[in-house]
Amino acid sequence: MSRIATPSAGGPTAWHDLDPLTRLVVSVGTLVAAVLLTGVVCLLLLTLVAVLLPAALARQLRRVLVTGLLLALPLALSVIIVNVLFSIEGTVVASLGPLEITEEGIALAAEVVARVLTMAGAAVLFYVTTRPSELVASLQHHGVSARLTFVIHNGVAMIPRLAERAHEVTAAQRARGLDTEGNWLRRGRGVVAVAAPTVLSAVRETEMRTLALETRGFTRPGRPTVLRVPHDSSTQRVARWGVALALVLLTLARATGALPC
Amino acid sequence: MSQAWLRVAGGLAVFALIAVAGMTALAGPDFDDALDTFTLAMVVAIPAGVVAYALIEYLQTRRLDSITRQFDTRTLVLMPVAMALNIVLGTAVASALKIPIYLDSVGTILVAALAGPLAGAATGFLSNVIWTYLAPPPFQSPFAVPFAIVAVAVGLLAGTFARWGWLRPRRGASGQQLAIGSALSVGALVLMTVIALRAWRIADEGRDLAPHADETAFVILGWAAMLLVAGTAIGLVVLLVRWRDLAAAYILLAGVITGVVAAFIAAPIAAGLFGGVTGSGADFVVAAFRQAGADLEQAVLGQSLISDPVDKVITFFVVYLILGAMATRTIARFPQGEYLLPLPDAEDVADRDA
Repeated sequence: MSRIATPSAGGPTAWHDLDPLTRLVVSVGTLVAAVLLTGVVCLLLLTLVAVLLPAALARQLRRVLVTGLLLALPLALSVIIVNVLFSIEGTVVASLGPLEITEEGIALAAEVVARVLTMAGAAVLFYVTTRPSELVASLQHHGVSARLTFVIHNGVAMIPRLAERAHEVTAAQRARGLDTEGNWLRRGRGVVAVAAPTVLSAVRETEMRTLALETRGFTRPGRPTVLRVPHDSSTQRVARWGVALALVLLTLARATGALPC
Repeated sequence: MSQAWLRVAGGLAVFALIAVAGMTALAGPDFDDALDTFTLAMVVAIPAGVVAYALIEYLQTRRLDSITRQFDTRTLVLMPVAMALNIVLGTAVASALKIPIYLDSVGTILVAALAGPLAGAATGFLSNVIWTYLAPPPFQSPFAVPFAIVAVAVGLLAGTFARWGWLRPRRGASGQQLAIGSALSVGALVLMTVIALRAWRIADEGRDLAPHADETAFVILGWAAMLLVAGTAIGLVVLLVRWRDLAAAYILLAGVITGVVAAFIAAPIAAGLFGGVTGSGADFVVAAFRQAGADLEQAVLGQSLISDPVDKVITFFVVYLILGAMATRTIARFPQGEYLLPLPDAEDVADRDA
């Protein structure tokens, strides 16, 4: 394998300058911490430190906030409706017809909404500051198999293409009288009518793509050349291991009940 | 015992050992605690079982052929398509159709059927990771990655069922075979329903399954959700009789088993992390159970035991239709393709031999 030791061009901010793997570790670490932590205060503190500060550093605060809120909104609304309006146990603070609102329901909904916002923020921060191609190059640089990075990169690229195809199929089926707004039975039939042609055309393409790849030496042994070497450093390596260690300690603290929140 | 069976047995033994030890050591006295521990045990036991399988194969042959064979070029090209299918269909069904199913594992089950259990598990896992970190909005879902272990379990089960020939077309079955197939399908469904009912009753300390609520609308909603299970089963039995394809019985069985396993792993994740909701149409079923008097864990498990088997039966059925629409030579080129093709008739074999 050969590597061209040409570092990629520096990012617009210090956050963008980090190795994409470091940003991924921070994002995954935030997500795991959000799973382990309970209590609104702890979760909001985590959001501030691991999402909002890096987002401000990357000059993406507004975008992270808006996109994160938009992504979290449907789930947050469901959380509030199910846990506040349909909570059955606890101290009743208000009634809406047959529905009773309890203190415990409000507390649970607040905690889950805080967790949902933290997770959405962490994922969006990574997404808006990292191109898939950058991550793939970084993963290859760090020794991940070229076959795996091919799958990841193509999986991401395939989403908009498949969505476009699904829109075309939906429009064509609607023109033939498909009802996607009717009762459950009609919607269920709609799923099959849209999914089947979308899936079949995509699956049929794989045959040609396989032949094209094999003729271009995809199965050749050895590792491909990494053209863009990410900005890694010993500090970042220590930081990545630090995040991993912190998560192990957090897990142990949660398991032993030593965590204050 | 052949070498292949030995490593499968070794992998299963490690999986079972860790799962049972984890459940015994960590499970609390009540059902909710046991359910949480079950998910945690699966998170550790499933990867450990796979690693044990690989280790035994390496010790036997100094190679990992049975694993690497599942990831040939054709599979690697199909996997991104399958992952995109999972994400696009999953997002569309959750956000647009608002029905209490997910349809986010068509790609996982398709790859598992064509390439094998590990390829299916990898597709499921990577789908959920990409869904959270790399999928462009509006397809991004920050809440998919915690459910990656469920997708892994679905991939492993689907690949195993396909390897057993459960997705092989069996058209032109005799009336007797169809009768036995229908009876076994209904029997399997009744068995699964009984298991679900027992789980529910254990969770709810003997209370009846029937939804109780002051509001008639919620009672109707609860019953309607439960009738979905019966409706799907009846639909497949009708297909069994009309198409005379015995595979419908196997699809039903594969879907129900996969759905029940997925429900038990996914329910504690949804309840513990997201207050029992997923942002899909299934949330209405959770709300109905909550209003009916169930606590959060019970409501989510009740919803999962209704939604997941229906979802997986539909998904297996969609995959079966996709496989039926693919050219035989295309299917045969995949690592596990031979198990998806119809068995040759006795007459065909005689003609070929002649």
